[in-house]
Amino acid sequence: MRLNAGKLFALVSTILLTYSLAPVAPAAADTNLCKPSGADGAIALPRKLATANRPQEDKYTTADVEPLSSVNVDALGLRTPRTLTVGTEAGGPPTSCLNSAGRYTGYDNELLRAIAAKLGLHVVFSGTEFSGLLAQVATRRFDVGSSSIMATEARRRTVGFTNGYDFGYLSLIVPSGSPIDSFDELRPGQRIGVVQGTVEEAYVIDTLHIEPVKFPDFTTVYTSVKTHQIDAWVAPAMEATNVMRPGDTASIAAYTFGLGNFVAYAVAKDNQPLINALNAGLDAVIDDGTWAQLYTDWVPRPLPRGWHPGSKSALRPHLPDFAAIAEQHHRGIDEAAPPKSTLAQLRDSFFDWDLYRQTIPVLLKTGLPNTLILTVSSGVIGLTMGIVLAVAGISHARWLRWPARVYTDVFRGLPEVVIILLIGLGIGPVVGGLTNNNPYPLGIAALGLTAAAYVGEIFRSGIQSVESGQLEAARALGLSYRASMGLVVIPQGIRRVLPALVNQFIALLKGSALVYFLGLIAGQRELFQVGRDFNAQTGSLSPLVAAGIFYLLLTIPLTHLVNLVDNRLRRGRAATEPDNPLVSTTRQEMT
Amino acid sequence: MTDRGRQLTSVSLAGRDIHLSFGRNTVLRGVDIDAPAGSTVAVIGPSGSGKSTLLRTLNRLHEPDRGDVLLDGRSVLNDDPNRLRQRIGMVFQHFNLFPHRSVLDNVMLAPRKLKRLSADAARELALAQLDRVGMKHKADSRPAALSGGQQQRVAIARALAMGPQVMLFDEATSALDPELVKGILALIADLGAEGMTMLVVTHEMGFAKSTSDTVVFMDHGQVVETGPPDQIFEAAETERLQRFLSQVL
Repeated sequence: MRLNAGKLFALVSTILLTYSLAPVAPAAADTNLCKPSGADGAIALPRKLATANRPQEDKYTTADVEPLSSVNVDALGLRTPRTLTVGTEAGGPPTSCLNSAGRYTGYDNELLRAIAAKLGLHVVFSGTEFSGLLAQVATRRFDVGSSSIMATEARRRTVGFTNGYDFGYLSLIVPSGSPIDSFDELRPGQRIGVVQGTVEEAYVIDTLHIEPVKFPDFTTVYTSVKTHQIDAWVAPAMEATNVMRPGDTASIAAYTFGLGNFVAYAVAKDNQPLINALNAGLDAVIDDGTWAQLYTDWVPRPLPRGWHPGSKSALRPHLPDFAAIAEQHHRGIDEAAPPKSTLAQLRDSFFDWDLYRQTIPVLLKTGLPNTLILTVSSGVIGLTMGIVLAVAGISHARWLRWPARVYTDVFRGLPEVVIILLIGLGIGPVVGGLTNNNPYPLGIAALGLTAAAYVGEIFRSGIQSVESGQLEAARALGLSYRASMGLVVIPQGIRRVLPALVNQFIALLKGSALVYFLGLIAGQRELFQVGRDFNAQTGSLSPLVAAGIFYLLLTIPLTHLVNLVDNRLRRGRAATEPDNPLVSTTRQEMT
Repeated sequence: MTDRGRQLTSVSLAGRDIHLSFGRNTVLRGVDIDAPAGSTVAVIGPSGSGKSTLLRTLNRLHEPDRGDVLLDGRSVLNDDPNRLRQRIGMVFQHFNLFPHRSVLDNVMLAPRKLKRLSADAARELALAQLDRVGMKHKADSRPAALSGGQQQRVAIARALAMGPQVMLFDEATSALDPELVKGILALIADLGAEGMTMLVVTHEMGFAKSTSDTVVFMDHGQVVETGPPDQIFEAAETERLQRFLSQVL
């Protein structure tokens, strides 16, 4: 193992050296995507789009709203009184994202804050995957879903929506050099990427009749485009524009209007009081100019003809002439820059030191404690339940043995992520009151229940590997079966499987990353989620590398601890006793 | 080791018409065996003849299908088997010491848990038993650090610590290196000389000849011949015993 450590060190130092000798790196580009661009960042709507089909007839936007003063904030069906619990996405700048200060921000979320302020409500944000967001709103895990959600017919079957605060259209992103330059050229057999559960997914399936490749989030799908792993990405135009950097090996090939009428906040379908209240708040922030300010700061582009935010009676917002500003800056949305060299790309992806400096303190302060809490708590559950399962599994009583077997088969046979989603999203709403909406108890339960199945099998094999003579000798002394197992057989079984248990603990440590599926507020994020969020903000993989290093710092010493324990168990404690070294220490096993 | 003046309260042990099968495999076919109080009975016979199984039936590690076990003349088949085993000590071919406990703890465990002795009293008892078998100096070692002969001595001390009235030895020297056999046999012989009732399953014909009061020859799950050593070894009556002796002697 010393050799390996040496190799690792050599590898790392080579990489460091290579990097430091690389040709003068340009002053670190501002990689933070999660901040407002201001009016200067205005882009024009694509020309083709301006003349494309108008938004369909709008039957959902309300004619007017109730006066703000008549909203009863105590009758909004909120999880926590006077607090909006909001599910959002950390990786969708500029509309919803987590900034480097750990604040869930972006156009969607800042606007929601302004609306909540009008209503006198407190807001708490949790980051989650877009693919699970609507389900979590429907089951009232969150009061509101805020992630540039287009209010489509299909989605209205699951959740309710407020009036619109933005509009959306789709763009087609292709790798550099791709021959594809319009939606018409997309064919079955091509690998078309979409984010799971989005309007884009529905568009590709229902309108283009192509089976898309589904991704959990924007960052991953965009990385796949850049690396030519997919032929195209059908993307929401604003988010796509924002994650694309000059010099990236991908470009926008075409646009099309979004399917939905407008972008709105999702609310549980049966919670009309909250929808009404948010609509009232939205009109209020439109009427006092806040909407226009936030829109200009975050997503500056002209409104399509015939569309405006809020209810039909909301005032028309006054916006700068974004088309003219964009013209002035020669900033078309489809502007291309020469691609960067592969080496430069790799360097930006993996070795962005600025990002390491930003990420590591957060990993240390937030990620590491949370990962350890998750791992240790679920480890305790797994150990306790595991030993019960093992003892039940070797019992002579069928009514004990069978349930243990079935439990083990089920929990060992399911992917961890399935268990986490089923328990977190399924049981979550049922016990929401007990857990105070905190996903940790559920995540810990899911991880612990899974670990128990493995730990139970490890214990069982360990106990069964103890020679039958041990039980016989204990019973021959007059000890009962229970005492013989407890004093003689089980302690030996456990010692034998310590290495396997540590391996299981390592698996648990890595598995703890999966709780991010359940939606975590900024302070609850574990190592992976912290790295993932920085990765989503910046598009660079460096934060994930940093998170990976943290995992290695935890797991590698554990692995070596296993070896140490293993050796020690093999030798017994002979090393501490001045015994004749010629006497075989394994005599008992050999005879 | 014999001059310790210990007052052994050994009793007789007997099996009557014992039958035992494991599934279709019939191992004991009506065995009668008698070990009067204070006697040493050597059980000999080819491998697979049921000797070891017989011992385990006498302390009810296996329950006989039919027949009876008499301790001090009284049937024990309806007693609590754990109680019974406290009165009958057993020593195994492979020692079966508890490798995760020190030598001292191996000997202390049962007295501590079953006789509810205090830690000090149990330690004192255990050290006395270890001293008796010459292993007191290894009290703090782990079993794995001992030679086979040393481990078997500890195993004997462990069985004796419960103050048994009968001792069963199941091929106690078969797993030992030849040079260690003698010491263990001497220890067993000493125990017999002290008046312990003993059933000794053994392949050591010399030991059976010199130390036992009675020799029982078993084959195919039955007792074929029983008698004092002189008669068994010098004047075997059955052809099966004669053939067995001609092979092992």
